[in-house]
Amino acid sequence: MGMRNIVCFGNELHGDDGFGIRVYAQLCRLTWPNDVEVFNAGIAGLNALRFLEDCSQAILVDALANFGNVGEVILLRPEDLADRPGQLTGHGLGLPYLLEALKVIREPLPDILIAGVEIAALKPFSPGLSDKTERAVAKTVQMIRGLLSE
Amino acid sequence: MARRIIQIDLNRVEGDLDFQLELEDNKVVDARCIGSLYRGFEQILVSRKPKDSLVITPRICGICGTAQLNAAVLALEHIGRIPVPPTAIRIRNLCLMAETVQSDLRQSFMFFTADFCHSKYVDRPFYDKARAAFLPFKGSVHRGALEYSRHIVEIIALFGGQWPHSSYMLPGGVTTPASSRHIIDSLSILNKLTRWFEQAIIGTDLNAWLALQSADEFFTWLTAKDTHADSAIGLFTLMSRDIGLHNTGFGTPHMISYGAYDDPDDADTFPPHRKHLFRAGFLNGDTGDIEPFEQAEITEHVRYSWFQPYQGGRHPFQGQTIPDYQPHSDRYTWCKAPRYQDKVVQTGPLADALIDGEPLIRSLYQAEGGNAWLRQFARLHRTARLLHKMRETLRELAAQPNAPHMIPPNDKEIPDGEGFGLVTAARGALGHWLQITDGVISRYQVVTPTAWNASPKDSEGRHGHWESSLIGLTVDDPDDPVEIGHIIRSHDPCLVCTVHLLDTGKRITVWP
Repeated sequence: MGMRNIVCFGNELHGDDGFGIRVYAQLCRLTWPNDVEVFNAGIAGLNALRFLEDCSQAILVDALANFGNVGEVILLRPEDLADRPGQLTGHGLGLPYLLEALKVIREPLPDILIAGVEIAALKPFSPGLSDKTERAVAKTVQMIRGLLSE
Repeated sequence: MARRIIQIDLNRVEGDLDFQLELEDNKVVDARCIGSLYRGFEQILVSRKPKDSLVITPRICGICGTAQLNAAVLALEHIGRIPVPPTAIRIRNLCLMAETVQSDLRQSFMFFTADFCHSKYVDRPFYDKARAAFLPFKGSVHRGALEYSRHIVEIIALFGGQWPHSSYMLPGGVTTPASSRHIIDSLSILNKLTRWFEQAIIGTDLNAWLALQSADEFFTWLTAKDTHADSAIGLFTLMSRDIGLHNTGFGTPHMISYGAYDDPDDADTFPPHRKHLFRAGFLNGDTGDIEPFEQAEITEHVRYSWFQPYQGGRHPFQGQTIPDYQPHSDRYTWCKAPRYQDKVVQTGPLADALIDGEPLIRSLYQAEGGNAWLRQFARLHRTARLLHKMRETLRELAAQPNAPHMIPPNDKEIPDGEGFGLVTAARGALGHWLQITDGVISRYQVVTPTAWNASPKDSEGRHGHWESSLIGLTVDDPDDPVEIGHIIRSHDPCLVCTVHLLDTGKRITVWP
């Protein structure tokens, strides 16, 4: 059994884009089994491939756009992003690009899930989450715990 | 006459970059290059201890953090007249070269050549081969670049503990010696990349490629064997020239290079007088002469930038960076307008190679000028030179296994004064200018390569290099102006993590 990695993306300086990093902070306060590791990928772009190279399962956490209602916690599979070549939110080249790149460097892929919240809008240089996004943090943490205890 | 304004996102780069173009009958008549994010690093550094720059400035960029660190440490060593041992210079050079190699390979094959797969070129003779090689995530070269480029910066992690944003260069040297283990591991990484570069990119042995000295020799080589024409650089050249990239995208004829890689044999000389492995200079586009480079000739203008106004241009030691966002004025960017000898200049691998006197690039330049194809070709040619130079540097490090990697400075603190650090980053000339007063930073000015190239208009109303490289260009389809993508990407744009603030004009994303 390989490692199970939780990789959180986002930019804390840009309002709700910091969602993944808020989730990361909460996840770090919990105790995890030895085969689970939590990473803050920030805005690492392609450099985040490192976090996905050797694991057997990965949960990616990020802010989402155009997947649901604002504040809604959503669980996606990579194929749900297949027709979205651009960015999910605002940073770097986006998760779809990262996942395409991952296919080039490893085969087979780890089992990947994407956990996120639908955000209203990015707010440049406005640290802190909006109320709806903030409420989604605890729900997301709970969902990730559930996924990894299965 | 049909006149329209289009706005273009070029967000295949890590950050966003906006261009606003005015077209008349499909011809670009005006261009505004918009840096849409104010970063504020220069203010963050004010009132801090001088050595804080070694931690803060590598965060300026996720691609060229090593170059930022090198510029920062050189500025401190300049002020403190702090000597550095040859081994430290070699380690710094090795890491900076590794960073540049990664950036150049990614820029070339993950960004630039992807445009060749555009459906506009479906009837071109090299289209099918271009798609097989360059199509994102499917093409062999795109996939290879993704796989092989990511390991080369592990050399920086060996010596610097991490990449990106590392802080292993200190006044007096570096934090880690060149152990035999580090050298062997570095060689292994380098060998793997070099083999792929020879097989996939140049289709020949590295030394044979570097032996090409003139335009005639290169074009003879290109058609001598199928493996040459079918190599990535062969295909890139044939496709570029078939669609006319050797006739377009010239921009300003003036070029600068700060010189690249301090010469370890000149370690006894303090910066900024230390020699470089690749020479510094100013290529005067009016005369064709290469003149000595003098940093005192640099000024920055803010007439069209969102900064508190001042008259004319200021040298970075008198520089002022006070944000003053004025969205409804004729100001249009967060970039200042750097000028050299009051001239608009360009920087980057083409400028570096010409000023250094590299014979093949110079010959091609003399034949056809500084066009979009040659600018990109010079970048790939640099990769070959650096792979060769990295091996040489590792050999030199291995030859002196116990040489010191640090000369601890006599004084713990950096004294009051002023200094600068000039390096060649992947995208060209990068400079840090630093003043220390009462033990803390009183002024810090950074002039990046992209500031030179993406410069807005200056106080005299003269366009920056990228802007001028587009004016006069005719696009076939204003709703899908792939020609503009070619030219802009040949400049290797980098404005990190920008956020759009503009609210007018049609937006078009250039995407293959």
